[in-house]
Amino acid sequence: MNAPVEKPSASAAGARTLAWDGPTRLFKWSLVLLVFDGWLSNTVGGAYPAWHKWNGYLALTLILFRVLWGFVGGSTARFTNFIALPGRAFAYLRATLAGRPQKYLGHNPLGGWMVMALLGLVGLQAVSGLFAADEDRLVIDGPFVKFVSDATVSFAAKWHHRIFDAIEILVLLHVAANLFATFVKREPLIQGMATGYKPVEPYADEARARPGSWAAAAVCLAIAAAVVFGGILAAGGRL
Amino acid sequence: MKLVFRTMLITAAAAIAISGAYAQSAAIAKRKDILKGVGDATKPVAAMLKGEAPFDNAKAQKALATYASAAKELKGLFPADSKTGGDTAALPKIWDEKAKFDAIFDKLAADATAAAGAIKDEASLKANFGKVLGNCKACHDDYRAKKS
Repeated sequence: MNAPVEKPSASAAGARTLAWDGPTRLFKWSLVLLVFDGWLSNTVGGAYPAWHKWNGYLALTLILFRVLWGFVGGSTARFTNFIALPGRAFAYLRATLAGRPQKYLGHNPLGGWMVMALLGLVGLQAVSGLFAADEDRLVIDGPFVKFVSDATVSFAAKWHHRIFDAIEILVLLHVAANLFATFVKREPLIQGMATGYKPVEPYADEARARPGSWAAAAVCLAIAAAVVFGGILAAGGRL
Repeated sequence: MKLVFRTMLITAAAAIAISGAYAQSAAIAKRKDILKGVGDATKPVAAMLKGEAPFDNAKAQKALATYASAAKELKGLFPADSKTGGDTAALPKIWDEKAKFDAIFDKLAADATAAAGAIKDEASLKANFGKVLGNCKACHDDYRAKKS
């Protein structure tokens, strides 16, 4: 009897399967650092406005990368594989609350929506920053401030503050959910996102992720950077 | 006679109340005026930092001198009875941590004086002016009410 290699049901203790490819993980942890650095550069970086502004350009580049990667990246990174209808997300929530959630190799139906919400809000935060400035218009301003009305700048600044509050709330929920899953439910989600591998289980979505290629990731990143930096410069904005 | 005393008493009380209110609103008006001057002195320098105006050391030095003298004056213009009124944007937190608040003015004055000595050309302006402006942001973030 020779069992096929990587047969999911052959759950020998410690057998692991690929969940997240390298580019997806590199993106994910880079975005964590940039969100933290965005807060840090605003809180203690008043003397260095360029620090906060470049943080924003890089965050926007990463978000655009992730949108492209959601179409051509590894299987668990693709939008079609983790955007669930609201009905399925609620069903997952009910099953989780009842103590019998299905396990997913990639994002679960609720987690998928958290990913979309975080990507959307961080993207909006970066875009609003392009048009925002400090109240006195003296300390820091985005590259598009000089093209829009003062009322638009105030509007963008107001939302730049509000969206950050919303990001803080979602980050807390996201971190809490993953800590709960990892340490209480003993499903090693955090280790999975760090190493790329998760234990072999009867996952609801797929048994093993098909990784995206580093070359495709490099192309996505190049396109994203070209759109962000090229767009700002082409519009006549000062970085 | 009783009426005269009563009138005098009321007048005196009113005078004290009015002069107190005056001192309070005078501090608010004075600090708002100084801060307006600080903003006005900063505008041409902000334009230089953005590369929208040519380097003009006279304007940079004038702004820095304005900050140094404003910082010293402003420290005395937030008395405990000037928490409200006069359309002030000062947050009550100022008086909860007055020493920390005053320390920002000390740092502003010191940074402005240091920058005044260091700034000679456009490169040294860009290298040194941001540090001074960081004090404006630090104080406004924590102690000034947001407009929206």
